[in-house]
Amino acid sequence: MTTSVLDPVAITGCGVVSPAGAGLAALRALLDGETKPNETPPAEDAEVLPPLAVRIVPDIRLADYVGRKGTRRLDRMIGFGLIATRLALDTAGGADDDALRARTGVALGTTTGSVRSVYELADSIFNPEVGYVPSRFPNSVMNSCAGQIAVWNAFQGVNSTLANGHASSVSALRYARNAIRFGHASRVFVGGVEELSPQVAWGWHKSGTLTQDAVLGEGCAMLVAEDPAQVGDRQVLAELLGAEVGYFDPRNRRVTPARGLAQTVTRLLERSGLTAGDVDLVSLGAAGQHGARTVEEYGLRLALGELPTSLRVSDALGDCYSASGAMQAAAVLARWSDGSHPAERHALVTSLGADGSVGCFLLRRPTA
Amino acid sequence: MSEPNSRRVVVTGLGVVSSIGIGVEPFTESIKAGRSGISPISSFDASGYAKRNAGEVKDFDPGAILERLDPEAWGRSGQFAASAARLAVRDAHIDPDLLRASNAGSAMGTASGEPRVMYGIAEQWSRSGGEEFGPGPVGTAPANRLAGAVNSELGLTGEAVTFGTACSASNYTLGYGYDLVRTGEADFFLAGGADSVSRYTHLGFSLIGIISEILRPFDSNRSGIVTAEGGVCIFLEPLEHAVARGARIYAEVLGYGVNCDAKHMTQPDVATITSCMQSAHTAAGVKAQEIDYICAHGTGTPASDAAEVAAARAVFGDDVPPISSIKSMLGHTMGAASGLGSVICCKALEEGFLPPTATLDESDPELGPGIDFVPGVAKPANLNIVENHGFAFGGNNAITIFGRVK
Repeated sequence: MTTSVLDPVAITGCGVVSPAGAGLAALRALLDGETKPNETPPAEDAEVLPPLAVRIVPDIRLADYVGRKGTRRLDRMIGFGLIATRLALDTAGGADDDALRARTGVALGTTTGSVRSVYELADSIFNPEVGYVPSRFPNSVMNSCAGQIAVWNAFQGVNSTLANGHASSVSALRYARNAIRFGHASRVFVGGVEELSPQVAWGWHKSGTLTQDAVLGEGCAMLVAEDPAQVGDRQVLAELLGAEVGYFDPRNRRVTPARGLAQTVTRLLERSGLTAGDVDLVSLGAAGQHGARTVEEYGLRLALGELPTSLRVSDALGDCYSASGAMQAAAVLARWSDGSHPAERHALVTSLGADGSVGCFLLRRPTA
Repeated sequence: MSEPNSRRVVVTGLGVVSSIGIGVEPFTESIKAGRSGISPISSFDASGYAKRNAGEVKDFDPGAILERLDPEAWGRSGQFAASAARLAVRDAHIDPDLLRASNAGSAMGTASGEPRVMYGIAEQWSRSGGEEFGPGPVGTAPANRLAGAVNSELGLTGEAVTFGTACSASNYTLGYGYDLVRTGEADFFLAGGADSVSRYTHLGFSLIGIISEILRPFDSNRSGIVTAEGGVCIFLEPLEHAVARGARIYAEVLGYGVNCDAKHMTQPDVATITSCMQSAHTAAGVKAQEIDYICAHGTGTPASDAAEVAAARAVFGDDVPPISSIKSMLGHTMGAASGLGSVICCKALEEGFLPPTATLDESDPELGPGIDFVPGVAKPANLNIVENHGFAFGGNNAITIFGRVK
């Protein structure tokens, strides 16, 4: 296998919809302890959520971001995706460049698409009196959010939907990086989306995988990944040095998930031309799954020795599952915004799922 | 930012679980004979629907194929995925220990992941809310388990990622795997897809009015799709490695093109399909006139077939190569569809035949004259370069190009 160092990809924008509200500044304020996350679910969900701690995206009107026309049959998850994309586009610039839009792709992490929309379709079988609008059927398909992001923004580059549980966003970043490297797009809106519908919350509640103090979250974070050659004088928030993903089935005793994570991190560092000592900040992924924090910490100690400064965005937002890796990246960008923490240059972001999937990527702060 | 190819990538193993055959040889024989896998739906009560056919895999026994996975712990799509992967690895005659010790992973495409599992949970939700959800189904439902099933069955530690790019997803996985192997990011890779027939998939396509009893691509009387299921997996290996170990090489992956209509979620767009074909040719380093056959997306809906043929005419002018749709036999296997198309492209190159559009009675005159849609059964043909189409909801177009290795 190759060990050559790859060229970085520029991250020129970031849009976030989270329990902190809309925007990277809102996430920063939450991480700085200036605000509190929203815990109030939409009225129609409040009575059917399980007894679990939740962090919910506050009521943000999609129409305020994309206009009212044509939004009525979209589902809530698509709304998250469209708002995060619009915010990301606003920060990245180039919104008026039609030629660039035609070369812009999407790589979106989501493990099951909109579970709410799937259940809505299925419910029409058992409760036909409720009535179902056929034009909502596309919402139930896994790639509906990525497809709608393209439709609403005229992004004609590669359009991909990546499912990898907690590592979905890392897989999306890895895919985006590859797509840019081989010219399937020169810019990719890449991230992850998760909607904590009552159906999903009950699924987690009954999964038997959560700790007593687990907190579930939701939202969407989109990064704008670009070929550095086309960025020009637009700002670069960070550089994506690499993204690696592995799978270490816990039933396969040959390599434990912790050792697998360590191997994957070590490979990422090698491929990025760095050593363990270069990592200044770790943005951790493990949240409310039994044993996950121990595995992640042990794996990181194996790879890095001493743990550098750690950031766990799920403490503030709850576990955002498919969106978690992208949220962790957004947390790094929020932390570094306005020149804060200038001594931190390299941030490692890690993800791991209960099935043994692990992922990691490296962000580098651009030199001033 | 594009980089030169460093390694040539070939297909040396094919795994198929389909309604017309389990294993690549039975599958290929059925395709050549124009055999149909469409039958009355047996996996759910379809009596309430106007159209009651599907392409179900009737005689699938995962326990007879799988070596490591307990089928009970996985959904039907995961069973399809892992079984197809096991068959592909056996077909490749690659040493399983070498595979486990290498940097090898999988990408599996799908439209609905585990729709039967999801549907079972959704039914509970509709009847009694979440109180009766069980950990088994909840743990089995996530779509990423399709690629996870492949890696767990084969003991692979490379990435396991599921592509939810619906009906073109297998072509996405193949393109991605090709990139990983050609650059050395992966030593080997398994790419494919899986989907299951389910009541809600059938319902959804019924609601938008494109379900038919018979899938008749390019026919005057075509009226829509038949939902179908299956699993497919393609083993990708560097050419040099395959030659060194004396492997049978089906075909070389020459390149792929991907883009997005970005106009409408369900209506295909001729202009972007045209440019997807052109970018696939460019990526593969081939000229349009070198293409000997097109394995069509060919869903049998009036709009989709018309758009696909119009795009082919835009690219090939008056010299459109033979185009056929194996969905005429399989139905629409969704996430597995373009993977099964890739398999038949590889076999067509290897054996020298044009796969048929088995159900074609009368070519639609509106599609224009002068195109061989290969009606009925396969025809012998000497093929060197072929292309395989996959288009999807969301306007996710993906086209792969395969060449014969001489």
